[in-house]
Amino acid sequence: MVHPNETAQTRITVNGVTCDVPAGRSVAAALLAVGIRKLRESPRAGGPRGAFCMMGVCQECVVHIDGHLRQACMVPVMPGLSIKLGAGTPAVDTLGAGTLGAGAT
Amino acid sequence: MTPQFDCAVIGAGVMGCTTALFLARGGMRVVLFDRGPLWRQASGVNAGTLTMQMTRAALVPYALQAWEMWMSTPGWLDGGDVLARARPGLSVAFTDHEVAMLEERARLRRQAGAPIELIDAARAVAIEPGLNPVVKRAGHCPIDGFTSAYLTGRAFRSALVAAGVELREGCAVHDIAPGFDLRADAGVLRAQRVVLAGGVWLEPMAAWFGVHLPIKTLINQLVVTERLPPVMRTVLGVASGLLSLKQYENGTVLIGGGWQGIGNRETGPIAVHPENLLGNIRLAAHTIPALREARLVRSWLGLEGETADALPAVGRLPGIADAWMIGCVHSGYTAGPYLAKLLAQAILGQELELPLFPIERLLTQEVA
Amino acid sequence: MAAATCAALHGAGVVLLDENAVPGGQVYRAAVPGVSGAPGPDARVGDRLRAALLASGAEVRSGQRVWALGGGPLVAPGAAPAPYRVDACTDAATATIEARSLIVCAGAHERIVPFAGWTLPGVMGLAAATILLKSQAVLPGTRTVVAGIGPLLAAVAAGILAKGGRVVGVVDLASRTDWLRQLPTLAERPPLLARGAGWLARIVSAGLPLLSGHRIVRALGADVVDAVEVAPLTGGVTRRLDCDALCVGHGLVPAIEATLLYRAEHVFDRARGGWVPVLDGSQRSTVPLLYAAGDGAGVAGAAAAPLAGEIAALAALADLGLLGTADAEQAIAVRRGARSRPARVGAAMSAMMAPPGDLVDRIPPDCVVCRCEDVTRAEIETAVDVGARDLNQLKHFTRCGMGPCQGRMCGEAAAELLARRVGSREAVGTWTARVPLRPVPMAALLDRFDYADIPIPAPAPI
Repeated sequence: MVHPNETAQTRITVNGVTCDVPAGRSVAAALLAVGIRKLRESPRAGGPRGAFCMMGVCQECVVHIDGHLRQACMVPVMPGLSIKLGAGTPAVDTLGAGTLGAGAT
Repeated sequence: MTPQFDCAVIGAGVMGCTTALFLARGGMRVVLFDRGPLWRQASGVNAGTLTMQMTRAALVPYALQAWEMWMSTPGWLDGGDVLARARPGLSVAFTDHEVAMLEERARLRRQAGAPIELIDAARAVAIEPGLNPVVKRAGHCPIDGFTSAYLTGRAFRSALVAAGVELREGCAVHDIAPGFDLRADAGVLRAQRVVLAGGVWLEPMAAWFGVHLPIKTLINQLVVTERLPPVMRTVLGVASGLLSLKQYENGTVLIGGGWQGIGNRETGPIAVHPENLLGNIRLAAHTIPALREARLVRSWLGLEGETADALPAVGRLPGIADAWMIGCVHSGYTAGPYLAKLLAQAILGQELELPLFPIERLLTQEVA
Repeated sequence: MAAATCAALHGAGVVLLDENAVPGGQVYRAAVPGVSGAPGPDARVGDRLRAALLASGAEVRSGQRVWALGGGPLVAPGAAPAPYRVDACTDAATATIEARSLIVCAGAHERIVPFAGWTLPGVMGLAAATILLKSQAVLPGTRTVVAGIGPLLAAVAAGILAKGGRVVGVVDLASRTDWLRQLPTLAERPPLLARGAGWLARIVSAGLPLLSGHRIVRALGADVVDAVEVAPLTGGVTRRLDCDALCVGHGLVPAIEATLLYRAEHVFDRARGGWVPVLDGSQRSTVPLLYAAGDGAGVAGAAAAPLAGEIAALAALADLGLLGTADAEQAIAVRRGARSRPARVGAAMSAMMAPPGDLVDRIPPDCVVCRCEDVTRAEIETAVDVGARDLNQLKHFTRCGMGPCQGRMCGEAAAELLARRVGSREAVGTWTARVPLRPVPMAALLDRFDYADIPIPAPAPI
């Protein structure tokens, strides 16, 4: 999924697994280039999520990069970067079943 | 002209909504006004803390009763859920001066009925593993907790409608003539009784009746993080009262404590005060160091009213028959439902378990 | 870039704050060295703007996220207006800048009207695909469906083909007649028309399915997208396209958080993308010494943006007394004239990007609208049933808009759904603007401090 003439690679780890990704890209683009599209799960419903806007707006690509929560589309890959997917957020239904009260439909 | 309503309540926050609800259930025809959507001022934007350790000593008995009400809203609010959660509460001291403050305040609140015990650092960290271990001493109260304040409006609205309260949202009341004739956006309306529940706007409301009641307006800042893995499990404050910290089940951490922003009663909230935001989050990060890793997602401001002696204004409007007032409780959300229930009982002519806070005393003092 | 360059050339002290590593925004994004290959026409225009900026003397602070804005009119009641205060941070530290005037060029972000499966990984915006193609040299997928409406559709499809990728279908909400209707306006700018024709030629010669007047019914897949179902707008048979990427976009929405924060007046103008700041003919907002230019002031296209930036700079220079009023007016008039044609074409493009009104109506009840908080259409409709009448009450009732994207992804769809019940977008309003303008790391704000440094206010009475 990368331009055919591309050769330069950068070595990073993703969830503990060593991975060579195209150099010079944002983490989001680099992961996409090696076929990693699911980056996390939505906190409330647990749905699979990945990078959506690529420009720092949607917050869907937030992953742990070297231990800090960062937007993958805004961080360039560097050698040795350690990425943990599925930024740990609890998947608890915040509104609960009883929010609406007896009168609600 | 026959009054269309037995009672008009002006202001749809915790005070107005709860008063209206219990009046309606007590058999009155009630109309509830708010110039905006209901529950959007202080009552909807506060930190939702249900703590005894930031409640004024005199209010502790009321707050204890209100705590029970908050923890059981599905029972008395037609199933309405505000996600109330009981948690242990810790008020921490980092310096010797704060330890002294803590001991004094805990003593006064304990006398008033709050089960607060003083504990050492080791026990505090055992109860709250996320706590900065440099803490010196803490007040521990097993009766503490929080709700999601912003959900309360929705929970109340259904109950109000079910109780037959006539809701007039987006309808400002401009003045009230004897009778009472309320001149509002939607026209003139007559009610036998009036309850003023306008929070910081109680001062201009009292002026409708020629009553001069100075109310100080506090502009409280709050800031919330994105969802985080668990970093704390109690409700936290500091001895000075200038921190409130809790983590919701959805992982977000809400940081408050009464740091002041920019605004006033006429203009409303204008802007967050950057230095005060920084001070507030520094205090939070000092208390729960794991917060350093968090991202802040949103800040906002709420207007809180304070009387001259910082105690509530709950009772009859002096010199005006059938006119009542409730507000400026200073931690009004915490004790609000019980105070409002008491006021409704008073208006319905029932006996009260605890006294109200008569307005008369406030008319002879000036706000500092 | 143009505003900063113009102001600096006239001797003003200028700081330009930009989130990206290199200035250029979306359209004029700089090529990434060693990655992007030969710069395309937009990058070349961008390079000229960047060169001029560099030579102008303006101070450029890149990689800076503006998280707080203050000063100006946001002062204690009764106090005189203060200098504008801008707080910008990296991931590690924050800095404050004060200035006498502020020009906001926050651009626009993409609107995507929700459809079933739109949250699946592998589904992304057309602007997102553009970023991947132009500055990341990464294809969205190996078999990509390109969908939505407007010129960006053709640009992305052609862009993928040019990079050797495979497009398995172009699913265009517009019909051929819709396109033909815009031809006269597009013809006003021959280079644009030529580019569009080039895109079309490439797409047609690739022989891939070009489905006009079609919508995405749903994206399918378990953990990632593996197919889409499409159907004609007028009804008819659903068709399945296997894919591993879906690029979809429905127009642009101006980013107005900064001007809202300063309480400038705004007006709802659908043709320009939605809520826009009210501006005079010289880009002045209703707040003194606050200006807006570019798509963030109303979508008018990339060609019109630099001219608007220069107009804003000239107005600011005049208002600050750094340039004579007559000279400023003259220079502004020239640019206003030069801007009218690209703005007209930009407006036509903006109109072409607007999705059909019933696309919102087709959002299924169980479809997520607020991605951050997983709030569905059904939950939004129920909130209206139980009394929510404006966006901010909807937020209180459902948490829609409370997530880290701060309502940017869901705001348009939520507002449209509300407006259908309440009566108008004006009645529904906008999200209340607050700081931080973007999620900001605590670590960037905290710095090193001692407990004693914290200025704790007087304690509450006991």
